Amino acid sequence: MKVIVIGAGWSGCAAALVLGLGNVGGIMRNNGRYTAAEEITALGAGDLIGITDKLTRHKNLDFPNHAHAWLYDVNKIEPEVRKYILSKGIKINFESRVVDVKMDGSKIKGIYTSTGNYEEADVFVETTGSTGPMGNCIRYGNGCSMCVLRCPSFGPRVSISKCAGIDDLHGERTDGNYGAFSGSCKLAKETLDKELVNELEKKGVVVLKVPKEDVNLDKLKAKVCQQYALKEFAENIILLDTGHVKLMTSYYPLSKLRKIHGLENVKFIDPYSGGKGNSIRYLSVAPVSNDLKVVGLENLFCGGEKSGLFVGHTEAICTGSLAGHNAVRSALKFPTLVLPADTAVGDIISYANSRIKTPEGRKNRYTFAGAEYFNRMKEKGLYSIDTGRIRNRIKKLQLLGIFNKRLT
Amino acid sequence: MNCIDAGGEYCPCHLAETLDCVLCSQLSGEKFCQCKNWCGVCIYDKYISNGSKAQNLRRTYTCTILKKKTPDKNLCILTLKAPEDLTRELVYPGSFVFLKNTENPVYYDVPISIMEADVIRNTLKIAIKLNGIKTKNLFSLNENDRISVRGPFFNGIMGLSNIYEAKNGTSLIIACGIGIAPSIPIMKKLHSNNNKIISFIDTQFKNNFSEKYLNDYSSKIVNCRILENGYLTENFKSILKDCLSGGNINLIHCGGPDILIYRIIQFADKSIALSCCNNSKMNCGEGICSSCTKHYKNDVVKRLCKVQMDSRELFKDRKFI
Repeated sequence: MKVIVIGAGWSGCAAALVLGLGNVGGIMRNNGRYTAAEEITALGAGDLIGITDKLTRHKNLDFPNHAHAWLYDVNKIEPEVRKYILSKGIKINFESRVVDVKMDGSKIKGIYTSTGNYEEADVFVETTGSTGPMGNCIRYGNGCSMCVLRCPSFGPRVSISKCAGIDDLHGERTDGNYGAFSGSCKLAKETLDKELVNELEKKGVVVLKVPKEDVNLDKLKAKVCQQYALKEFAENIILLDTGHVKLMTSYYPLSKLRKIHGLENVKFIDPYSGGKGNSIRYLSVAPVSNDLKVVGLENLFCGGEKSGLFVGHTEAICTGSLAGHNAVRSALKFPTLVLPADTAVGDIISYANSRIKTPEGRKNRYTFAGAEYFNRMKEKGLYSIDTGRIRNRIKKLQLLGIFNKRLT
Repeated sequence: MNCIDAGGEYCPCHLAETLDCVLCSQLSGEKFCQCKNWCGVCIYDKYISNGSKAQNLRRTYTCTILKKKTPDKNLCILTLKAPEDLTRELVYPGSFVFLKNTENPVYYDVPISIMEADVIRNTLKIAIKLNGIKTKNLFSLNENDRISVRGPFFNGIMGLSNIYEAKNGTSLIIACGIGIAPSIPIMKKLHSNNNKIISFIDTQFKNNFSEKYLNDYSSKIVNCRILENGYLTENFKSILKDCLSGGNINLIHCGGPDILIYRIIQFADKSIALSCCNNSKMNCGEGICSSCTKHYKNDVVKRLCKVQMDSRELFKDRKFI
């Protein structure tokens, strides 16, 4: 059996079990993500959580509206994940951009890369995300901000499900515009004031006041990460130590940022033009059923942002794991797995999936870490930081280690 | 499918203004990017940065005829003195310009391939076959006369990427009559990429106007009759078959009429890379006049002055009626 995974962010890596966007993330286990990390581990797909845990710089950090966050080192994560994936015998095609498909009825027969290569497989997993490319960032944002996707160098993202004839769904903003800005930037640590760096490295988080005249509440409306789209994030500069310095705002004019004490010489490192804008996301979501199979296609599964209006790396790992697992089940002609709503992972998938069908739902994002879904998690009693309790819940559902059991 | 002008000096063109861009999904009426043929830059970005306007069209230059030779009553070879910026752009395979007598209106513009662009002397060498009103007018020009040159244009050859990818192997040139002229920059390129070139030539004129170039770049020249009554001659098929059976042919370039290209596509194994000349009739070269449009299955319309594609795609799913 041959499975092709298109995309190598957290979701693609989880499905394949490289890393693209994982290089700029860093925040794990904050709020309900703790539950999800433990759940996915109990389900048998905790490999990547294990790696992020191992490379954690700060544990159990609190910052406005976020509790017990763990920050992994973004400068160390990618080689570690790459080595791990290769050690599992997975073939990686680097810098290989998939641009089209060959169909056989409602089945994808093979994929074409931008260099004209053609490859067939039994089943496909698309984790190409929903971000950019440049034209979208121009039309729905402030232009290309030179983000980590590096569209000009490596070529733009192409929606594979759309190539296969399935129209994409799109996230919306409260003003009716499409997409949303990525929610954070990275600053070069060596450009910050030394004292500030010392404090940041010691505590993991530093909160600085934004000068009154520069507070911009409107910017929050356009932000992806609704768990961070809070007044506190507009009135304060929140810095996290992820190896680089993570600045918890979509973008911030450099001249204004340099007005803040300790940031007088600061420089953006991601996106390079973080003073002007950030990447635009949620412009390409495939309609999926709760097993993450694309509706209308026989053999395409999706994970990460491609599978719903999900935010975050934990969410990508969870959906990617399920998409990969179900891809194999489908190729073996086994019934696919739908995680029950008694699990946080199963519940967020079915909830986000039902919400994306409504105009209001398309204006929201779904994350274990905050906003609408974290509230639901708490209401449903799904939120817990008790590893034993979470593991027991999975055990009771007879799902313990389901993802790492051999299917044949 | 690609666009020969994508990302370059003449991109975005006015096709972007009417949402008919060959490559960009947003500039062809879609709301979102679906960039299957990335050209290295974002055309939408170029368009917005340019104030949502197309770039300028090609300029028209007035050049002087330095030399005129008439090796056959139906063939003339002109050497033109041209500006440096224009000459520099015309050294690549597939380059062509529109020519006309300066006195004539724009309707007299006729696309003519560049046989040689000399960037040291700033000269352009072109071969013109006597065909109709436009070419008759060009034939009437003499040395030291002025001539109107509009360019540069680049899409004179289909399958350009195959030419650039052919390296350190053996390449075949199959060319008839005036189709030999645009084959010369290709031979030059193939030669510079360390390819051995075998040329099959059907000169069709009294004198072989390309003899010097063929001798310079080909390791073997076979003069033979290639096409008869719309079919490859048995003799040519037999020579070509022998040549192909030797293996390691990295490219067949076909310079001749569409029927020759079609027959070669039928004859050659699919594994062999092809290139061929673009025989579309053109008037503007800028995608406006629609003289070069060809219709394909599923109502796909391709403007062949802009669309760059593999030779095998040229006739595939094409509607002829």
